[in-house]
Amino acid sequence: MTCREFMDAAAELTPSQLLRIQTSGQSLAAHAGDCRGCAEWLKSHRLLGNALQTLSAATANAGASPAVEASVLRAFRAQKSAPKIVAMPEPAVRRWWQLSRAFEIGAYAAVAAALIVGAFLGSRLLHGRRAPQQEEQAKVVVAPVVPNSVPQAAPIAAEIPTRAAENAAEPAVREVSERERKRAPVSSAAKAAGATTDRLDYVAMMLCDPLMCSGEEHVVRMELPATTDGSTQQTVLADVVIGDDGLIRGMRIVN
Amino acid sequence: MLAEHTDEQLLELALNRNEEAFTALYRRRQGPVYRFALHMSGSPQVAEEVTQDVFVFLLQRGRDFDPQRGALGAYLFGVARNYVRRAMEKNYTDATTLTPAEDDDPVLVTEFDPMRDIARSQTSQAVWKAVLSLPEHYREVVVLCDLQEQTYADAAQALGCALGTVRSRLHRAHEMLARKLKNTAPMLAGFPGDAARCLS
Repeated sequence: MTCREFMDAAAELTPSQLLRIQTSGQSLAAHAGDCRGCAEWLKSHRLLGNALQTLSAATANAGASPAVEASVLRAFRAQKSAPKIVAMPEPAVRRWWQLSRAFEIGAYAAVAAALIVGAFLGSRLLHGRRAPQQEEQAKVVVAPVVPNSVPQAAPIAAEIPTRAAENAAEPAVREVSERERKRAPVSSAAKAAGATTDRLDYVAMMLCDPLMCSGEEHVVRMELPATTDGSTQQTVLADVVIGDDGLIRGMRIVN
Repeated sequence: MLAEHTDEQLLELALNRNEEAFTALYRRRQGPVYRFALHMSGSPQVAEEVTQDVFVFLLQRGRDFDPQRGALGAYLFGVARNYVRRAMEKNYTDATTLTPAEDDDPVLVTEFDPMRDIARSQTSQAVWKAVLSLPEHYREVVVLCDLQEQTYADAAQALGCALGTVRSRLHRAHEMLARKLKNTAPMLAGFPGDAARCLS
């Protein structure tokens, strides 16, 4: 047995157990007989065990005084004479807890309802916004259909693709045609309303470049003198397309 | 008749307001609790107060005791340990009163041989002083395992730590005690000097 093994084995024993180790016949004692250091360790721990036993024996009969017993029994009797604690507070607590639980569930339900209502209103609001936008688009499309087409008399005339291809302002033509393609349903509606024939009645005044005259136009019906020299008082009704800049884009004679 | 009841049965009866059962339980368990507090604090006054507090606690919170987790004795040691700690934290006893005085020496076994009695008394005084000078967590295991002769498992339950911790603390505490006794009372114990270790 090595010293390390001796220490490991001895560490498992209490001092009182060390006292019981015989001087012969045990490996611990045998090693202690050969090794002076371990023998001294064993001796010191045996003495420690002896001393602890002495202390333990010296206090073996020690106990609390009768006064302590009397005091504890007094406490016991005081508790005994006290009214027995009925489980009243517990239900009360439980009821409060249940109430609070109900509140909690109610709060959750309220939050969920608020979310649902919010989602519904939000969707409604979105729909509401989209609808006017669409209407607006439709208006924008329908109203300017005629004037837009007027300055773009070339494009109107360019409904014939060959002419459009020949047009010098090819990008503008392409742009207009794309725009018109986008507004296809509206323009088809307008066609259905006879807008096509109206559009064809307009005469482009060519007073502005189609690229520059991109603003809004208004159709104004007005009475115009039938002749330019003023020889007759006769007037004709005409729809005049006027741009934001005050320039006339086109016109048609109504009667 | 109540003497045949286990601690747990007595506690159950006591909690149902059976005074005899409570008295029997108190008389059975007050000694170890008192001695534990005495060895830990070194003061009989603290030991008495701790004993009283432990049993009043048992009256009030005895229902918290769970027999599945260990014996009632170990549970009481655990409660006593907390009260002793509390008393020490409150500076109820300072370092000087912790050292047992001659008058405080508890009931020593008196025999006719006065020399032997004196030697025993001196030995126990020296050992007690050495035990009291140990750090608290080492002192606890020495008091429980060596002086109260509790098993490692019970000590572990009372201290709320692992069994291996109790073992290692006890081993270390013994080393410290042996060193202290060699330094302070070599004439009493005859402790050898530092051994030349050959950890081969």
